[in-house]
Amino acid sequence: MWIPIQIDENRPEPLYHQIESQLRGLILNGQLEEGALLPSIRELAASLKCSVITVRRVYQDLESEGLLRTRQGTGTFVAKVDEQAKAGHRLDRVIEAFERAVEAGLQHRCSQEELEAIFRDIVRKHYPQEGGESE
Amino acid sequence: MNAMVYTDAAASLSGVAVRRDGFAFGPVDLEIPRGLVTAIVGPNGSGKSTLLRVLLKLEPCEGRVELLGEPMDDGRDEEVKARIGFVAELPHAYEDALTPEEKAKFAASWYPGWDWERYRKLLRSFDADQARGKLRKLSKGMRRKVELACAMAHNPELLILDEPSSGLDPFAWKTMLEELHRFMEQGDRTLIIASHITQEVKRLADCILFMHRGKVLGCYEKDQLFDEWRSLVVQPVAEAGSDWLRKLPVQGWAEAAPGLYRLETDKAGETQACCQDQGCRILSVQRMELEDILGCLIRREERTR
Repeated sequence: MWIPIQIDENRPEPLYHQIESQLRGLILNGQLEEGALLPSIRELAASLKCSVITVRRVYQDLESEGLLRTRQGTGTFVAKVDEQAKAGHRLDRVIEAFERAVEAGLQHRCSQEELEAIFRDIVRKHYPQEGGESE
Repeated sequence: MNAMVYTDAAASLSGVAVRRDGFAFGPVDLEIPRGLVTAIVGPNGSGKSTLLRVLLKLEPCEGRVELLGEPMDDGRDEEVKARIGFVAELPHAYEDALTPEEKAKFAASWYPGWDWERYRKLLRSFDADQARGKLRKLSKGMRRKVELACAMAHNPELLILDEPSSGLDPFAWKTMLEELHRFMEQGDRTLIIASHITQEVKRLADCILFMHRGKVLGCYEKDQLFDEWRSLVVQPVAEAGSDWLRKLPVQGWAEAAPGLYRLETDKAGETQACCQDQGCRILSVQRMELEDILGCLIRREERTR
């Protein structure tokens, strides 16, 4: 099974952290459904070009969070996740993307006002009706 | 056997040394973990092949070697050798006159676990099942494929490969990686591979062992290594003076452009924090390539000599 995890080599976060947060996101936003069988540790490590040590750590962490469960001999599955937990993490990836955008702004020495102006412009471009009506 | 044995060592060396004219290897004290892929990386002549050869006691050496929990003693290690697969750096001259089939038959008589079906499947997968004639007449790559199939046909507990991809075309190389992943999928197998191909190391290895001039520079978990080693481009503040660099934890540095410095560090987080404390602007942070990390480790070693 292929899992849409993308590693950004140049992010400062350690590899295991990137993999773990993306996998957690895929489970919490329902893209990976309850009961889905995950790739074996070696298989996922090979597809992400990372070590089995890292993937094992990710699986163990998510298992202790209750998001995964491992059945001896059969593999690692997505556990049942309650709706409240899902709701609490719905916007995780969006927040993360905004964080990166703000970091890029800081790197280019944007002021807070400039960043906010850019944000408003982009939102207006993508949500034309709502933006137009409110002004 | 449990499918997830990672804690014990597949190979352990203590005080292993080889002394020959013009070449000194060791003394090496080392444990190579079971269940993982350990890549051995180093410049030409750094002792990668010697390390693999002393593991199998193919070369006289001082010290103690244990493989798969058994001591490698001259003449008394046949049983443990039957649980190991090995592809040497260069093909054996004494096999020149054999056909692939004859070589396989010879290997089959040696290894109790030999599986002809696995052998033929491997040959087919490497696209080498049509190889005929004496090994000497085969292309370098074709001969390599036969050697790999022979080394893996008994599904060894420990597979030792010395630059296995030399001579392989890109398709065969990819197939080899797939077969090695499949081999490791079993969970309790161990692969030790000497390689100078960065992509091979990145795709296969769990641990990386660096060698230089017959010495082990260190053995690292691959992802941690690439997480920690980064190259930074920084711009110091104008009034920084001349000693700002000396206060930073860096492994190497160079002036990349007027007023811009490229720093190499094995403590990415710490170095970045220090740069910010000193008022430096960090323009970019990138992961380092394997060869650049090796270069830093070698320079560090040379400084201590």
